[in-house]
This record gives sequence, C-alpha cells and structure tokens, in this order.
Amino acid sequence: MRRSTSTAVRALALLAAASLALTGCGREADAGGDGPGQGEAISDDPATGTIDVWAMGTEGEMLGDFAKAFQEENPDAEVKVTAVPWEAAHDKLANAIAAGETPDVSLIGTTWMGEFAEAGGLEPTPEGLVEEDDFFEGAWNSTVVGDTSYGVPWYVETRVLYYRKDLAEKAGWSEAPQSWEELKQFATDLQKKAGVEYGINLQPGQTGSWQSMLPFAWSNGATVTNEDGTEYTIDSPEMTEALDYYKSFIDEGISGPTRILDPGELESGFAKSTFGAFISGPWHTGLVEDAGVSQDEYALAPLPGKDSAPGTSFVGGGDLAVFADSDNKESAWKLVKWLAEPEVQQDFYDAVGDLPAVKESWESGKLADDPQLQVFGEQLENTMSPPAVPTWEQVAAEIDSDIEKAVKGAMPVDEAVSHMQSRAESIGTGL
Amino acid sequence: MSTPASRHVDPTRRQQAVAAWVLAVPFMALFLVFTAGPVLASLGMSFTDIRSADMRTPFAVSFVGLENYTRLLGDPLFQKVVVNTGLYVVLGVPLTMVLALAVAVGLNRITVLRGIFRVGYYLPVVTSIVAVSVVWKFLLREEGGLVNTVLAWVGIDGPAWLDSTTLALPSLVVMAAWRNLGTLMVIFLAGLQTIPEEVREAAEVDGAGAWQRFRHITLPMLRPTLLFGAVITGIGYLQFFEEAFVMTSGGPLDATRSVTFFTYDQFSFGNYGLAAAASYLLFLAVVALTVVQFKLFGEKD
Repeated sequence: MRRSTSTAVRALALLAAASLALTGCGREADAGGDGPGQGEAISDDPATGTIDVWAMGTEGEMLGDFAKAFQEENPDAEVKVTAVPWEAAHDKLANAIAAGETPDVSLIGTTWMGEFAEAGGLEPTPEGLVEEDDFFEGAWNSTVVGDTSYGVPWYVETRVLYYRKDLAEKAGWSEAPQSWEELKQFATDLQKKAGVEYGINLQPGQTGSWQSMLPFAWSNGATVTNEDGTEYTIDSPEMTEALDYYKSFIDEGISGPTRILDPGELESGFAKSTFGAFISGPWHTGLVEDAGVSQDEYALAPLPGKDSAPGTSFVGGGDLAVFADSDNKESAWKLVKWLAEPEVQQDFYDAVGDLPAVKESWESGKLADDPQLQVFGEQLENTMSPPAVPTWEQVAAEIDSDIEKAVKGAMPVDEAVSHMQSRAESIGTGL
Repeated sequence: MSTPASRHVDPTRRQQAVAAWVLAVPFMALFLVFTAGPVLASLGMSFTDIRSADMRTPFAVSFVGLENYTRLLGDPLFQKVVVNTGLYVVLGVPLTMVLALAVAVGLNRITVLRGIFRVGYYLPVVTSIVAVSVVWKFLLREEGGLVNTVLAWVGIDGPAWLDSTTLALPSLVVMAAWRNLGTLMVIFLAGLQTIPEEVREAAEVDGAGAWQRFRHITLPMLRPTLLFGAVITGIGYLQFFEEAFVMTSGGPLDATRSVTFFTYDQFSFGNYGLAAAASYLLFLAVVALTVVQFKLFGEKD
C-alpha cells in the first residue's frame, strides 16, 4: 500500500512539474499589425535539383507526366510528384508542417491556406513572380492571408445553376432565370407545369451548406468579414434577407427533402425528373451525363443576382504553395510560375479538366468555344472566396449549423444570423 | 517474508533481477513512449490554448488552467452532446442487456440449431460498423426503406426515422442494441453455464416457478457477469461515434452528435487544447459510470 501511494505522489509531482514547465513557456507577444512582406524576387535562371511535389486526386495522378515538359525546359531539375488522397491531405500537410518534413511544393485546398500560412508552414509569394491581375479576383484572394499572398492559384471551380432544359421549355422558360424572383418562379413552374417533384435542390443545412447559401448572401451584398479579414461582418440585413429567401424554397416545398441526400441521389434524381435544378460545380457535368441526362436535356447558367445584376458565386479550387521548410525554394517557385502560365494552364485543362485560374487561358481554344465552359468562365468574373482565416473550417461549421436551424424553423432567421456572428466572434479569426 | 535486509545479496537473485529488468525494459520503453507519454502530453495540452497553428512551436503556448473545461461546460453544443450521449447510454445499455439476456437464456435451453442461432446473433458484431451503418441507413429510409415498407403493409405510414430530431437517436440506439447484443449474449451464455443444474432443480422441487427460478436463482448468480456486461457496454456506448458519423452526420439539428463526435470536430478544427479537455471529460464520465455500475451490480457484502 505504501509503495502505491508514493508512486501516485510521484506521478502527481511530475505532473505539477510539467504544468509549471508549461506555464514557463507561454506565447510570445503577438507582433500584430501587418504580416510579413512578399518574398524576394527570384532569378530567371533555369530550375535545378529535385523538386518534391504533393498533389491530390486527379492532379496528383497526372502531374508527374505533365511536368515532363518543365523538365525539358529545365534539364537540371527533376520533378518528383507524390499523389496524396484528398481525404488524407489536410492532416498529412498539417503533420508535415508540424514536423518540418514538408515537400517543396504542394497543391493546397483554398480553404486551408489561412491555417497553414498561420502555422508558419508556407513561404510568402516572391515579389513579381506572377501578376495578380492575371488571375480571377476570387481565386487570387484565396491565397491572401492577412495582407500577404502565400501562393499562386492553380485551378478554380465555381458553382453555377444546372437545370433541365427540356423541362424548363415545357414550363415555358426558354432562358435561365435572371433574378431571385425569376428563380423562384422558375422552380415553381418546373414543379407545377413540368411535373418535377422538387423545382430545385438547395442543401438544407449540415456540412457544406454554407457553399450553397453564401452565394445568395454575397449576391445581395452581404460579407463574411471586413476587407482586411480582421473582423466578422456576418450579421447584416443583407445576410438575413438572403437566408430568408433561401429558407423560403424549403418552406414552400420547392426545394428537395430536408434530409441529407445519399451519394448519387442528386444525379439520378435529376435524370428521373425528381429535381428540376440544382447548384453545383464543374464536376457535375460528367456526373449528370453518367446518370443518363443527355447534353440536350440540361443546361447551365450563371447564378441569378437579386435583381438584374449577375449573381456572385463561390470560388474554390487549388492553390500552389511553397513550404518554409523547402530546401529548393527558388526552383520550386519556378515550377509554380511555369504551371501558372496561360498556355500551360490550357494544356493542363486538356489533360486533366481543371478550370484555369488564369483569365487569359479562357480566351482561346476549347475553353473559349464550349458553351458549357463559357458559363463557368462567365461566372468566374463574379465570385467570392471564403475568408482565408485559419479558423474558417470551424466558422463554416457554425454557419452550416445555423443555416439548418433557420431552414428547419428551430430558430428565427434573424436570430440565426446574429448567432452566426456571435459564434464566429467567439471563435475569432485566429490571425 | 520478513527477512531483515542484509548487505549480502544472493548472486542468483541479483542475476534474476537483472534478467527481469532486461526482459521488462522493451515493454516499458514502448509503454512510456507510446502510451504514458501521449496520455500525459494530452493531459498537459488540455490545460493550454494549443491550436494546430502551434504545432511547430508546441511549447510556446499559454497555460490557461481550467479554462478549456469551463468553456466546454458552458458551451450549449457541448451540453447538448452530453445529453445525447447520456440518453444513448441510458436507453442503449439496458435495452442491449435485456435483449442479450433473453437471447442467452433462450439459447441456453434449446438444443437444436443452437450453433446457427449463436452465429446469427454474433454475426453483426464481427461485421464492420461502417457497413452495418450504411445498410441500416437504407433500411430506415423514409421512402422505400425496408422498415417503412413493412409498416405500410399493416397500414402505418412510417416516419423519416433519421430525419426527425426525436426519432434519430432512438433509431441509432436500436441499431446499436442489435449490433452489440451478440457480444453480451456470448458472455451471458458462458455465465449461465456456470450455474449448477442442481441448484435450479432443488428450487424446482421446492415449488419455484420458471419466473421465480429466473428471478431468485439465475439473476443473482449471474450478477458478476451482468456487471461485466454493463461495464463494457456502457464504456462502448459512451464513445459512440461511427453510427452517427455514417448515418446522420450528427444531425438533424445535432440530435445525434455525441461527445466523441464533438471532440473529433474540435480536433479537425485544430482546437487541440479544447479537444483534449473534452476527451478527459469523457474519460471522467467513463470512470464515473463504471463506479456507479459497480455500486449497483457489484457484490453486496
């Protein structure tokens, strides 16, 4: 008995000592104010040495072969690509940054930029590497954390309106709706005159519903943060109005069921005329065609704005960033610069199907001719990205949860919006 | 045993001591590095404001005392997940135990097809929880789900089980009971077999009916087995996560979000300090539940 007591005492003492040691550490006072400036400009010499690249999904599979052209231009450089699955990518990158064992370059989901930059893992973009104005504004903003850009947009995706063209014609619509009022009428007509079960499918809350709801708010002039990304500005009459409008689709039975759809249910429902329309990104063209909807039966249109002005959509995609722990930064940036050249972006679209983040790439070739793609190109002119703050994922989860509460009537709309604001404030920006 | 300590140490004993240490060191090193270390580190983390952005400088964080714990206890979402988890345990443990005991008593009596039944009841336990959840999600669908189709045969319009804030959690409890009763059944069967046949026969001779025999012979003699069953089921149910993760994503309106789910979310948001604190609160709940069960079912002296 005595022995075990003394062990417990010793363990407690150890714990107390550890706690004391921790108190001794403490945070360094935050310097505050501006972030670091952009990095120093890089030379024009060819790249050299090994460049380790991580990329996810299709990009990871295709980049290795694609980068051979870069190696031909830079014979002394070798690009080594490691494919990382998207599901594991966030944790793998976070661990790599924590351990200081990063690759030189990685594809980074736009909503992760704030977190990784704040953790000190990313290198500020060198001065003059690329021209900010060459990129879609929403895409470029996804690289900016505080006042500093930490990467270069690689590809983009944005959300547009998908609708059944054949059924819309039956309901008397030869063109896509141009305003909120028309969108509501359009969805109602699809239900009443063309016999679809749900005129449109808008996600009724839960993970990712902010991506459906916020475009309506942005189109209405609402914002999530102020210009510098230092304060949340969610609670506004515009946000309330947008959420109210969003909720009205579910209240009036125009939007789909309030449960989460099963994988594939949206596409098959679109083919079976269960859903007349939905809002989604470029990957859905392939999915709906696989589900048996032919190109003549559906069409895409940019999101309608509140009045006649074009609607603002969500822009996501991938950025390329160079890591602070890279030992070949200069060459790594050269690879990034090469991947952001307009012709290379076009070639990458041909090889992989990713939409270029560089505006010039859209002016020629298939991207300029294909009417479906042009809709995405047009929408990209009017996009917003979520704020690149390290705590965004958590704030987004709160917004998702409050959207659900409002839509399902568990909380009045204006209260839900002010709740989003107070939750976001208590989480903070993490900057 | 009380030989006075002597200066002279028997060389054989000394060799044995050395051998013992040599044999124990690999285990102890692994235990210290991979078990005790992380446990102590996470306990330490729960008293700091560490976030994922601090991982490069894990010691440059502030000590915040019990702030993470007080914040959790004041967070309405955490209160909700605590209630959800509590309901899950309070509904799930008795349901699973009663079902498992009924099945075990039944199987203990029949002799035909015993093996097939045993395998049948045990099968859900060895099936992947994710696969089970996906299948149940389809069974419980509002339209075209097996449950509602069967209810429609008898004229009942079945509800949207997983889309209702009142029915979603009980639906998950039923599924958990179905899945976990196999483990308890095996344990209870083993327990039943330790009850000597003579005791039961003696009671029968004394005129005790079937219910009386069950109530006054079987249950008391099964007490240690029941305790064990209640403890492991309670610990398992306090940590429920996968069912909700796969079937409802914690919804609708957080009605199926559990403490573990909340902790998982906090870790993925990068709030390591807060998440660690939530884990320790859950650990305390496990300890408390176990103590309560020992008090309720334990041997009464």
